[in-house]
Amino acid sequence: MDMVLEADRLGKRYGSTWALRDCSLHLPAGRIAALVGPNGAGKSTLLHLAVGLLKPDAGAVRVFGRSPYGDTEGLADIGFVAQDTPLYRDFTASELVIAGGKLNKRWDATLARTRLAQLGIPPDKPVGKLSGGQRAQVALALALAKQPRLLLLDEPVASLDPLARREFLQSLMGSVAESGTTVLLSSHLLADLERVCDYLIVLNASQVQLTGAVDDLVAEHRQLVGPRHDGGVIGGVAAVVRASHTDRQSTLLVRADGPVTDPAWTVREVSLEDVVLAYLADGTTQTSHSEWGVAA
Amino acid sequence: MIWLTWRQHRKQAFYTLLALAALAALLVPIGIAMRHTFADLGLTDCASQLARADVAQATRETCDAGYRRFGNQYGNLSLVAVLLITLPVLVGLFWGAPLVAREVEHGTHRFVWTQGVGRNRWALVKFGLVSGSALILATVYGLGMSWWVDPLTKAAHEGRFGMIVFDLQGIVPIGYTLFAVALGVFAGTVWKRMLPAMGITLAGFIGVRAAVELLARRHYQAARTQTFPIEGEGPPEVSRGDWVLAQGVRNPDGTMMAEGGRIQCPPGGQGPDGRVCGAELGLEPGAYNWQLYQPADRFWLFQSIETGIFVALAVLLLYLAVRRIRRIA
Repeated sequence: MDMVLEADRLGKRYGSTWALRDCSLHLPAGRIAALVGPNGAGKSTLLHLAVGLLKPDAGAVRVFGRSPYGDTEGLADIGFVAQDTPLYRDFTASELVIAGGKLNKRWDATLARTRLAQLGIPPDKPVGKLSGGQRAQVALALALAKQPRLLLLDEPVASLDPLARREFLQSLMGSVAESGTTVLLSSHLLADLERVCDYLIVLNASQVQLTGAVDDLVAEHRQLVGPRHDGGVIGGVAAVVRASHTDRQSTLLVRADGPVTDPAWTVREVSLEDVVLAYLADGTTQTSHSEWGVAA
Repeated sequence: MIWLTWRQHRKQAFYTLLALAALAALLVPIGIAMRHTFADLGLTDCASQLARADVAQATRETCDAGYRRFGNQYGNLSLVAVLLITLPVLVGLFWGAPLVAREVEHGTHRFVWTQGVGRNRWALVKFGLVSGSALILATVYGLGMSWWVDPLTKAAHEGRFGMIVFDLQGIVPIGYTLFAVALGVFAGTVWKRMLPAMGITLAGFIGVRAAVELLARRHYQAARTQTFPIEGEGPPEVSRGDWVLAQGVRNPDGTMMAEGGRIQCPPGGQGPDGRVCGAELGLEPGAYNWQLYQPADRFWLFQSIETGIFVALAVLLLYLAVRRIRRIA
């Protein structure tokens, strides 16, 4: 399988704080991948490393087999929409399309214009005066006009209302479906992306918690409810991701490597959101407890 | 890239030209009036006549009187000249400082640096075009100011070496302007917000300019010394156009007797109590007036050295700015 994006023990440090650490992941070609994690988890840092804005402090990141930092030629293959969709606010949408043409060797101006026309975006109004949803669409159209093989979107829908979110994601899916572009979108809310993505990367506290195809992730996790569990081995369970206990009962979210046959446990299917939340809950709090000087 | 630069800065360029035109509309009439007065007072040939060794006493007196009258009428314009030397730093504040800082403040650097051209090319084209425009602007300004300030400098003792007028004319404005722009750009890559970048640019520009002007400039070349007798006819000889760094009266053995002063007595002149000229200062026979100076004909040499210093600083700052840009995300 072709890997579009590979990170190997990738790390980025700001001062003494690691924004991203020991990040290893692979993104196969043709996927629509969601990069999910709470604010400050390192999502933007990972995307900036992938588009070559940042230089890794540890490990390596490769996009189409090339190291993106300082690689101008590689930029032609990557479309990037930064957080808050920054654009020159005094430019009109049509001027931005011209600017894109001047800044890129490969540039499909017709594609951008057609998209913007279909979306009903006024060509001669400064983009600073457009709504947030329209501006995001302009930024997306500009990124797509580069005809990228990898499209990176940093929180593209965070500032949009629910309707604009849906329209944005729909139009994104519509255009990448034909071209086979690999997409990596970040969000702090899984719900935004759940419907569109088929691959998932969960980032928390500057580390990768979970990565894999959505179907596989859902298939290999189970919820077990049974008598209070003291940490012993359960047949068919590879790892307990998260456990919560009452006096007499335990609820476990586990990664399974076979059928759980022990009749004491009631086995339930889980949704993607259950899995993500279980992984996010794990590992967030240790550092802050030690920083505050209190026992965890 | 050129199109983008033009599109981003055309408004700024328009206002800059407008300001320059307004300035010209104000200064050109004053300059013309000043020239007329200068000619009417018969000062046009004074410079060349005074430079001759055999200049007649009468010519010297007429010229000095004319210079004084001219000075009385237009001396206040030196204050305007003080305002005019601030123009290069304005270019640095409004063209240099926002160049990177504004992009980063609005986040648009993430848009433009991830397009196919890459940020190195972006930086080179942008810095090149803005510096080039600043160069043209500064050349026009330097030439215009040289013309405008010419009568004022001729009438002043220190000539073109005067503290403000040296900075105003010739080629040094080019150095100052390029330095101001480069400092602004560099400050923008370090502080990444427009207002702090502008503040740092202003402070840095004033600091470096003052340091060079007050500490370095007088040492560009070894200063010369000149001596005059303390006895002589008529008004004291002055070395017009020279930049006098220090002067005083010295005894024959070289001891400084009156620092910063200068005396002249008529030949054989005596004080009220019958003592010889300067005896109350402790002067011995053979004492002389002394001055340390940079001669007027070093003007262009000094202009070139000062311009060179600031252009070199500008190049260094732009180089550092390009390097810093690689680390901004």
